[in-house]
Amino acid sequence: MKKVLLTALLATLSAASAATLVFGGNGEPVSLESGNITDGISILVQRQIYDTLIDFEDGTTDLKPGLATKWTANANNTAWTFTLRKGVRFHDGTPMNADAVIFNLGRWWDKSHPYGFRDQGRTFEIVGELLGGYKGDATAVIKNIVKVNDTTVRVDLNKPSSVLPEVLAAGYFGIASPAAIKKEGAKYGTPASKPVGTGPFIFQSWRTGDRVTLLPNKLYWGEKAKVDQLVIRSIKDASQRLNELKAGTIDFANDLTPDSLKSIQADRNLVAVKRPSFNVGFVSLNNRNQYLKNQTVRQAISMAINKKEIAAAFWNGLAVSNASFLPPVLAWANSPKVPADYKFDPAAAKKMLADAGYPNGFSIDLWYMPVSRPYFPTPKPIAEAIAADLSVIGIKVNLKTEDWAKYLQDRNKEPGFDMYMIGWTGDYGDPDNFYGAYYGSNASDDINWNPANVETLLQQGRAANTQAAKTKVYQQLHEITYNAAYRIPMVHSNPLAAARSYVKGWTPSPLGSEPFNTISVGSKK
Amino acid sequence: MGSYLIRRLARTLLVMLGISLVVFVFVRSIPGDPAVAMLGERATPEAAAALREQLGLNKPWFFNPANPLDAQYPKYMTALLSGDLGTGLKSNIPVLDDLKARFPATAELSIAALLVALLIGMPAGILAALRRNSIWDNLATTISLVGVSMPVFWLGLLLSYFFGVQLGILPPSGRTGTEFNVDPITGFNVLDALLRGQVAAAWDGVRHLILPAIALGSIPLAIVARITRSAMLDVLNQDYVRTARAKGLADRTVTMKHALRNALLPVVTVIGLQAGALLGGAVLTETIFSWPGLGSWVYDAISQRDYPIIQGGVIFAALVVSVVNLLVDLSYASLDPRIQYS
Repeated sequence: MKKVLLTALLATLSAASAATLVFGGNGEPVSLESGNITDGISILVQRQIYDTLIDFEDGTTDLKPGLATKWTANANNTAWTFTLRKGVRFHDGTPMNADAVIFNLGRWWDKSHPYGFRDQGRTFEIVGELLGGYKGDATAVIKNIVKVNDTTVRVDLNKPSSVLPEVLAAGYFGIASPAAIKKEGAKYGTPASKPVGTGPFIFQSWRTGDRVTLLPNKLYWGEKAKVDQLVIRSIKDASQRLNELKAGTIDFANDLTPDSLKSIQADRNLVAVKRPSFNVGFVSLNNRNQYLKNQTVRQAISMAINKKEIAAAFWNGLAVSNASFLPPVLAWANSPKVPADYKFDPAAAKKMLADAGYPNGFSIDLWYMPVSRPYFPTPKPIAEAIAADLSVIGIKVNLKTEDWAKYLQDRNKEPGFDMYMIGWTGDYGDPDNFYGAYYGSNASDDINWNPANVETLLQQGRAANTQAAKTKVYQQLHEITYNAAYRIPMVHSNPLAAARSYVKGWTPSPLGSEPFNTISVGSKK
Repeated sequence: MGSYLIRRLARTLLVMLGISLVVFVFVRSIPGDPAVAMLGERATPEAAAALREQLGLNKPWFFNPANPLDAQYPKYMTALLSGDLGTGLKSNIPVLDDLKARFPATAELSIAALLVALLIGMPAGILAALRRNSIWDNLATTISLVGVSMPVFWLGLLLSYFFGVQLGILPPSGRTGTEFNVDPITGFNVLDALLRGQVAAAWDGVRHLILPAIALGSIPLAIVARITRSAMLDVLNQDYVRTARAKGLADRTVTMKHALRNALLPVVTVIGLQAGALLGGAVLTETIFSWPGLGSWVYDAISQRDYPIIQGGVIFAALVVSVVNLLVDLSYASLDPRIQYS
């Protein structure tokens, strides 16, 4: 018994002296198989285990080399050649080379790939979303994937795209060890398997519902991890994540509610961390509605909502408001020709409404989301504020909501919602990721507005060769969408994170997750 | 007794079959579509339709004229009868694997909550009955009233904040500290730590159990206290208790041996009924305390419309409640020899 106690004591002591970094995640990963999952916490854990071909500079959406050191397009952007980093090995010791990259791209994109496990429920739907479809589809961006030599891969495209490297840099597309996938089979990515990448951390264990434990990759090709162990705990409740931070049982956490900012600032052990904004929360107006068909009405609505006041009231200073659909880092794509915002002017809005033939206003439904999202942390009070603003110009707003799964479905059903709140967080740093998602041919038909010139511009944007050409295209898109006023951008929020004060070297990415190899914990106290 | 048991088991099996049908229809009748829920903000009707097709959700529920076996329910039942509960739509994890990993956590928490309820609720009820109308009685009645009326999530957050953050004497949430890694044997964390000789880890597990067990146990505690009190009062007025007293037996013997044993019957009934309530209460408690059990898992599955997980979770929960009720019924006989099953 003595011996047992002594061992236990020693185990406790050695565990305490090892530098463990503990992250409070907002839930448990759905799967650790890359290419198949889009939820934030899965991507965050995957980002530690896998590298992507191309990476993002710390804290920005600018590209930097990842597993590919170089990427170049042909003259008309219809073929991209990736030069791979030499000498990189997966955690299982197998080499990362052209075959491995083609294996990964192949199983995501080719529906008949023998290791795609589609018959066992794999869907890889994000590939279809971001790359227009799968092998053989008429709409698919990728035509063919070719091995040039051991360290060079060429991707041939069906149509010009300047954003392929940006897409492949998104956190979804970590390159996994083909040997590991073949070995684990269809259970790859579940807690019962061992995911294998080339990233800064090596998978150690996944306790269902509880935590994922990772160890540093001592042979990492890039900056090596500064801790002995990384633990990602699953703590669903935002107030509980804050409690754990305050108690010191976790070192840092994401997705805290804006109203906890003051409490974090008041705690001298904690540092509030503002994640750079890369999202947009907006109100969509449906063209099928008899009032909202009228452009003057839509513009009047936009002018009647005091967006700056709403951003200040419900985000605690953790949001900006401007007229553009694009978050501030993409402001280069905004047109100087349209104003920064529809000027908040209820009197003018009321007059416009009268000019449009509705001097006494009208009654309309506004749907608010039943869930909290970074772009709308507290949807109901925000909706109430919008309703109050609109009542000033005579529009009577009936607030409505329903369960999230039904909400997402009903917004696309005809006739759909009259006005509804929704938003978007970007995957990569190109305006296409925002405009394409809500105005493109793939976008949802919830507002019944798909003018041909918008689709043409979106295609021109994707094909654009130079930044100048791109800017020109997106400025036009900005002008068109601004004037049309079908989607009224409300805010771009800074998701709130926090860390214990001894946590150093954490640079949150606007994209929602970043590798934690740069973080040190000093001597935890 | 033997034939009674067989009849009960057969009935349980029938109930399970009925529940599997009801839950199959029920989950598919909830508005909202798994494919749309999975795609989230990205869901366009085309993408959702493609996903639905791949997941096999576009197939008829019960009967496919083209291929009778190629409908959802026949497929589901064929798999179910061979012990396969299906696979989570998004996670690709077999539902049975998740159940195996998560049920011990829920069971551990529920047992701890039941212990809290019994170890505090019964003595409080007995005391209240023995000292009827005293300050103890009033105190126990008031506390049990508060216990029943306080929402579990509110109590949970209060406990976590007060003991975990302000006083810092217990962990605010989670099942084990990150410094411990106990390899599961039974799945019961504290027990496994002891079996593996990791005393510090076991103690850490107990510390993690205390707050969620109190939160989850608060309502059963209040109910147990009230039932014990009224059952004791009932029994204490019976002739045989008076006779026992008149024979000159010690107060303690009368209370513990004669009165309590007979007062236990309604308490045991309540425990049986509370088994279902504990599973339900676990949803909130597990979410607040980041407890890796069944409750929060099924809750998430419902919001995601993950049909196989909801079906598996409900069928399993029904099975647990049936088994607990069977055990309660069987324990009647040992508590009260007048009850016989045949």
